[in-house]
Amino acid sequence: MASIYNFKKIAPVPEANDFLDIVLNKTQRKTPTVVHPGYKITRIRQFYMRKVKFTQETFDEKLRQILEEFPVLDSVHPFYADLMNVLYDKDHYKLALGQINTARHLIDSIGKDYVRLLKFGDSLYRCKQLKRAALGRMATVMKRQKDSLSYLEQVRQHLARLPTIDPNTRTLIVCGYPNVGKSSFMNKVTRADVDVQPYAFTTKSLFVGHMDYKYLRWQVIDTPGILDHPLEERNTIEMQSITALAHLRAAVLFFIDLSEQCGYTIQDQMSLFHSIKPLFANKPTLLVTSKTDVCTLNDVKPEERQMVEAVRSESIELSQLSSYHDTGIIETRNLACDKLLQQRVDMKLKGHKVSGVLNKINVAQPGKRDTVERPAFIPESVLKRRQQSGEDQMHRMLERDLEVEGGGAGVFNVDLKKRYVLASDEWKYDVIPEIIDGKNVADFIDPDIEEKLAELEREEEKLAAEGLYDSSEETTDEEDVRIRDIARRIRERKQIIAQESRIKDVNRSKLTTKDKAMISSTGDFSEHLQRLGLDPTLADETASRIGRKRGRSESRDPAVKLARSSSVAARAVSVIRDRSVMGLKDARQKLATEKSKNMSMRRMNRMARAGEADRAIMNKMPKHLFSGKRSIGSNDRR
Amino acid sequence: MAVRAQFENNNEIGVFSKLTNSYCLVAIGGSENFYSVFESELDEVIPVIHTSIAGTRIIGRLTAGNRRGLLVPNTTTDQELQHLRNSLPDSVAIQRVEERLSALGNVIACNDYVALVHPDLDRETEEIIADVLGVEVFRQTIADNVLVGSYCSISNQGGLVHPRTSVQDQDELSSLLQVPLVAGTVNRGSDVIGAGLVVNDWAAFAGMDTTSTELSVVESIFKLQDSQPSAIVNEMRDSLIDNFS
Repeated sequence: MASIYNFKKIAPVPEANDFLDIVLNKTQRKTPTVVHPGYKITRIRQFYMRKVKFTQETFDEKLRQILEEFPVLDSVHPFYADLMNVLYDKDHYKLALGQINTARHLIDSIGKDYVRLLKFGDSLYRCKQLKRAALGRMATVMKRQKDSLSYLEQVRQHLARLPTIDPNTRTLIVCGYPNVGKSSFMNKVTRADVDVQPYAFTTKSLFVGHMDYKYLRWQVIDTPGILDHPLEERNTIEMQSITALAHLRAAVLFFIDLSEQCGYTIQDQMSLFHSIKPLFANKPTLLVTSKTDVCTLNDVKPEERQMVEAVRSESIELSQLSSYHDTGIIETRNLACDKLLQQRVDMKLKGHKVSGVLNKINVAQPGKRDTVERPAFIPESVLKRRQQSGEDQMHRMLERDLEVEGGGAGVFNVDLKKRYVLASDEWKYDVIPEIIDGKNVADFIDPDIEEKLAELEREEEKLAAEGLYDSSEETTDEEDVRIRDIARRIRERKQIIAQESRIKDVNRSKLTTKDKAMISSTGDFSEHLQRLGLDPTLADETASRIGRKRGRSESRDPAVKLARSSSVAARAVSVIRDRSVMGLKDARQKLATEKSKNMSMRRMNRMARAGEADRAIMNKMPKHLFSGKRSIGSNDRR
Repeated sequence: MAVRAQFENNNEIGVFSKLTNSYCLVAIGGSENFYSVFESELDEVIPVIHTSIAGTRIIGRLTAGNRRGLLVPNTTTDQELQHLRNSLPDSVAIQRVEERLSALGNVIACNDYVALVHPDLDRETEEIIADVLGVEVFRQTIADNVLVGSYCSISNQGGLVHPRTSVQDQDELSSLLQVPLVAGTVNRGSDVIGAGLVVNDWAAFAGMDTTSTELSVVESIFKLQDSQPSAIVNEMRDSLIDNFS
């Protein structure tokens, strides 16, 4: 579970001088640099206004970034807010950020003012001076932020190095007097590798380590030692411990050293315990006596022992461990974890979120629905192997090892046929053709396929003979017939109604008699005569004679004529058209055209000269292609 | 024994493998790492077979099967079918199924006795499932998902279903399947159980992202390595509550 606070991503804060360099450099790079007095004054003003505005915007952007990236103390988890207060002093921090914000506002207003002034600049020189003044004033404002910026940079560096503590996850906090064995315990249960030295205040800040217990991730926080004096007199190092104790919902392991090797008496240690006890409220707490290899609870004076054991009455458990002998460490850890987990679960069960996980902690047991036994199927060899699991098994040659031997992935080609289960091992690598005689071999893989097909067909025939597929006309009873009859009558009636309404409909468009006559054909006419009882042959003849169009005598090609006469073969002959007559009305016009053509060509023919259609080469040796320097240096016409 | 595995950096190992009590199918990949995970656990007990189905590697989603049989979609080529027939013992029947829902692994979830199937499956397919796999077939949904094969994973000893399955649904499914069921996730919270986990009666393989909590739930519900489903209610209860809510 990742912490929601990530202070490692804050961008570095440059020093005031660097800050200026960065911004002015950017202005120089990103705005035009050339201007002439000869330009129109509006253009000159525009040039300088752009510079001023750009500088102001860059300052604004950079400062805003700082303000946004640094955590706001009121909106982070109280643990972090308090820790930052202890480490960096809340007032100083807020003041620094406040000053940066003020500087931003100042620079904004300077920018705005000078842009306004630049509108009245009447020469290049004046505009330039205004720009210089604007940038200079902005730089002055920035230079005044020197201290704030360097302070914020220090804070940033320190924040980035803080351990990533997730305030909401399962946490164990180890605390106690200096030198009582807190860090040794931490090193035993996690892989944090905290520095352990035989002097007080080796651990000067919070350290975090992680461990696994009961399938869960736990974080263990090692705190600096605390001395027994009033809160106001505590130094920064001690205050970090107090902050962690005050704000994290965690199990607290308070360490005491009965051997007094740490330099503090048992009485001192117990009085510290009682003085910071309010911080342990509502937290599972363990009083851990460490260094049992040197001194156990049985070895101390009875009154001191009584003092230690008195805490049992406040539902605080005692635990003993020795980091030197590795005894009691795991027991202590498990005891603390169990107590914390129990508390967290109890709290979560009271909340509403737990309803979502009820199905994940509910194992649905089957109700018996029949008497069928459904045993698991575990092969003998598996059971045997399970019994042998204690003995180390011989390493078998896996496909992966073969791959490595065979040249690694991408080179090695796996043998798919190696494990075939066939009657004879010799058959494994036999090549089976896919297609033979245009037939897919796979379709005939079954030797009895023909028989089976025949049997199916026979069965089908039998079924057909028994009349399974016969239509069930005769099986319909009287009721069906009656219903069908009614349905048919209804359908007919519907059709009639539809037709009648179509006839009655006066709104639909109708053909006039004249139109009707125009589209009627000879066939219609003869039909009409027949209906009247008259013979239509004469009328038909007349109609065909009148209606026939006259053919064009000249334009009809002999081939077409031929085609027309022998009707069937004609279709095969493609029609050849005489192009010389195309576009001409008749034979007479054609003759006239021909004659005028001959007349126009007569003069040309008589002179036998080259016509315009003949190929002509006007200049056999164009100068531009045949003049110029030769390789020997002669013939330079220029 | 529950093992974590990955197919070419992909945690959805149920897509690329099919595990039953009498055989294991594994997709042909770029390297043999994935295959060897199965091989080292299962070889000498059941055959572990490289195969493709219809030329693809998503064999776990395309096939359905149990100890008695294997159903492959109609897109399976003749050569693949021949390869499977040659590799599988004769006690395992193979059947190519003409079914519109051709990703059989997504629409069929089965152990050796019972199968849950997609409600829209063909009647013919249902009969084939009953005949070839020798199971009772029930048309069911899991947490209102019709893809029963994707959202659960079952063996003869237990089953893991979609994390949103209600307690009543769990009870109903459990009495149909006649095995204990629990709702859960694999691959650090993924709800596609069928894709992230393959199990049989003595082994389980889960995606590499599966957390230790998830893996211990898997071991308990499928009774792997002497653990019992009751562990979920007793020993692991606190961890599960603290982890999930």
